[in-house]
Amino acid sequence: MKRLIDSGLEQVSSMLIRMGELAQEAVSLSVISYIENSKNHIQVNEISANVSSMVDPIEDTIFEIMVRFQPVASDLRILKSYIKICYDFERFGRYAFDIAQIYEKLGGIKEPAFKQILDEMSENTIKMVKASINALKCHDVEQARNLTGSEEKVDKLYSKYLDTLISSKITKLSTISSLLVVRYLERIADHASYIGESIIYLSTGERSKLR
Amino acid sequence: MGKIDVKNLNIWFTDNHVIKDVSLELESNSVTAFMGPSGCGKTTFLRAINRLNDLIVGSKTTGEIRIDGQDIYDKDVEVFELRRRVGMVFQKPNPFPKSIFDNVAFGPQLHGLDEKEDIKTIVEKSLREAALWEEVKDRLEKSALDLSGGQQQRLCIARALAVNPDVILMDEPCSALDPIATAKIESLMRKLADKYTVVIVTHNMQQAARASDYTVFLYLGKLIESGTTKSVFENPTNELTEKYITGEFG
Repeated sequence: MKRLIDSGLEQVSSMLIRMGELAQEAVSLSVISYIENSKNHIQVNEISANVSSMVDPIEDTIFEIMVRFQPVASDLRILKSYIKICYDFERFGRYAFDIAQIYEKLGGIKEPAFKQILDEMSENTIKMVKASINALKCHDVEQARNLTGSEEKVDKLYSKYLDTLISSKITKLSTISSLLVVRYLERIADHASYIGESIIYLSTGERSKLR
Repeated sequence: MGKIDVKNLNIWFTDNHVIKDVSLELESNSVTAFMGPSGCGKTTFLRAINRLNDLIVGSKTTGEIRIDGQDIYDKDVEVFELRRRVGMVFQKPNPFPKSIFDNVAFGPQLHGLDEKEDIKTIVEKSLREAALWEEVKDRLEKSALDLSGGQQQRLCIARALAVNPDVILMDEPCSALDPIATAKIESLMRKLADKYTVVIVTHNMQQAARASDYTVFLYLGKLIESGTTKSVFENPTNELTEKYITGEFG
């Protein structure tokens, strides 16, 4: 028999998954637009604002469930983790917005050496965002754990990018711009790992570090 | 070693095997809550700690319960003295049909104290410890039966404290009380743990979560899980505990 708390948990889960999908859309659009030198900041800003506007309703629903049902054990872990994941998604949206703003102010990337690293970093980061949302959908611990490898890859690309920048003789607006972008990509990848950590915790109670 | 060490405890009521090979340690100066579905043996376990089950015809107990290292089922143990050291508060407040003062004075007098001033001091101290003094100090000669349910329960706690126990057992002490009286008893449990070892049986899981340091889960007479209340309620290790506390059965 379904428990009273279950419909509340299902409701908050579907709200969170919708938020994640929107955040993923914002990240993909901002990063791809940046790399391909296309203007999409208005659309990114809209999606990012939608993502932000979902924080309060999700938190309110979680707190209502806590007050009504006083959850314990796996129910409690799920809600604790959902609060954290909600924050991570909000950050995805915000960083996507920031990337779009950077393009608007400083333009995109042109130098092939930097672009190549950025392409790879973007591809990996977007993959991580998708994987973190998929892990959330089914509370999939294995998929959550796999985020570690991808996060290490993004971190290495970030270091490689900095090394390339340091050894470069010319610093242009575009290099500054792309520097800021890679920083955000690195942060997004971190948040995808945080989501993986939350999924492992809500499913098993184990507190692990995927970074 | 805990304040109370239980080893391989088994209890039968004629053919009914109620407690099945339970071993655990209960820490001093803490509140330990026993929870589990009806009939799991919580109350039987509690009543074993001051040998109240001895009064039931057909009961049989094997194994050990040691308090401060002494086996309370040893043949040399004086049960009357044991029940002074291990006080009990029951589900329904059960004050004697006497004055408030006499209810608290009864135990010390029964244990041989007859100095009037000493008894007055003990009555005041016990009522203060039970957080009842301020409410009754001007009507100590009034009948205890005129107190509210919550006050009567605190009076019963004062009555248990008056004989200077080490351990206080409480069998669903709030089940007959309203939420305000319940909150007062729960605060009192926490305060009492500074000085005493408190063991409670509760049907109310949230009460266990709010008021206890350690939680023990019994099911069909077996110990399923015990640990800090935080760990049992946040991350239970046994699937049965998880199912019980999340309301999947019980």
